Amino acid sequence: MSEAPQTGASAAGDAEAAHEGEPLVLTELIQRLKVRDVMTRELSTVSRAATMRDVQELMRQKKISGVPVEENGRFFGLVSIDDIIRALGGGYIDAPCSRHMTTKLVVLEDDMPLSFALRYFDRYHYGRFPVLNRDRRLVGIVCQRDINRALLVELAHELNRLENATLQAADKASARSVHVLREIPVCRYDFENAGKAANQIKRVLQERQFPPKLIRRIAVAAYELEINLCVHSDGGVLSWRVSNGRAEIIARDAGPGIEDVEWACRDGTSTANEWIRSLGFGAGMGLANVKRVSDEFEITSQKGSGTTVRAVVNIGELTV
Amino acid sequence: MTILEVAEALGAEVLVKGEGCGRAIRHVVASDLMSDVLLVDEDDLLLLTSLASDQVLRTAQIVGAVGVIVVNGKPLPSSMVNVANDLRMTLVTSGRSKFDACVGVAAALKAP
Repeated sequence: MSEAPQTGASAAGDAEAAHEGEPLVLTELIQRLKVRDVMTRELSTVSRAATMRDVQELMRQKKISGVPVEENGRFFGLVSIDDIIRALGGGYIDAPCSRHMTTKLVVLEDDMPLSFALRYFDRYHYGRFPVLNRDRRLVGIVCQRDINRALLVELAHELNRLENATLQAADKASARSVHVLREIPVCRYDFENAGKAANQIKRVLQERQFPPKLIRRIAVAAYELEINLCVHSDGGVLSWRVSNGRAEIIARDAGPGIEDVEWACRDGTSTANEWIRSLGFGAGMGLANVKRVSDEFEITSQKGSGTTVRAVVNIGELTV
Repeated sequence: MTILEVAEALGAEVLVKGEGCGRAIRHVVASDLMSDVLLVDEDDLLLLTSLASDQVLRTAQIVGAVGVIVVNGKPLPSSMVNVANDLRMTLVTSGRSKFDACVGVAAALKAP
């Protein structure tokens, strides 16, 4: 009954050609990563003597849909949820799993590139593949979710690396050119995230070792404008850039607009409701505070359309 | 005196020890209006507030505060500890009223 697990070496050529048109970073990642880098190593297994009911109970407890059958690392087969359903229907749920496990299996080897695994999922339509090492011992199991998780982690690392490389390249460029340009969307009443953009700006400036007083002025302007977008607008975008000796922060929204801009810029004037005030905002200090910390301040608005606020802090010869 | 020493003097609970917990307090602000806090142009300030929200921590981070003491024994939203950890901001909670806490902080800062 037992058949040797098969590895489909012919998939190699397919795997090489399968990723044309993908971004280079992704292609490089799926070639560089090995199956062992993404597989689950903590396995729930059973011996051949376990009954199909034992396996069913293990699946329920561990919330898994496939259980390898192994003894001392030697792999014999796999019981899938389909096998359990057949056992229930066929009335042999209390029989040893060794009689009814799936033995005609396709397996992966732990030192295969991830591209092999992706190709196998495409070709065989199985939910998971057991992973063996060179000694044919069971060392893991891999499913699509494992691959997705590992790729996301690796892509995040790669994006960080690329972003840092871009910033370093900008450092080497002329001090009169644009060094940082970011646009961050801000949603109406999204207090869970309001302030995150300003916090990010502050961190970037701290990392670039700007003087603390200057950081505070830029951060306060960004924070007040971000909160204003959250509290008073229908949603908008906070953008900031550092170039030509200036840190510029722009808050732009698509409505509802301000009827009397001069009035809105006075200390203590606000249209915020009680709920917003209960959250610590809406005291009517925001725009006035932005004006106070800025070297240049400009606001354009029209009732019924959008508002744009631009705050500039001079930073001299500093660059990011 | 640091925020940790002030917390001990108040009998308050330190929930998160951030990067400012070892810095000496140079200024104290007690307010529930975050725009008021943003107006203060002082370094290493301690913020006392009865407002229990994530925005308190973000405001404190913007002004470079050494930490935040939430007074009145306000129950904190579960997200607040996570945000404090993310921002590396010291977070303390006290059952004292804002007035009592201010008196306690003043006494602690004047103590030899």
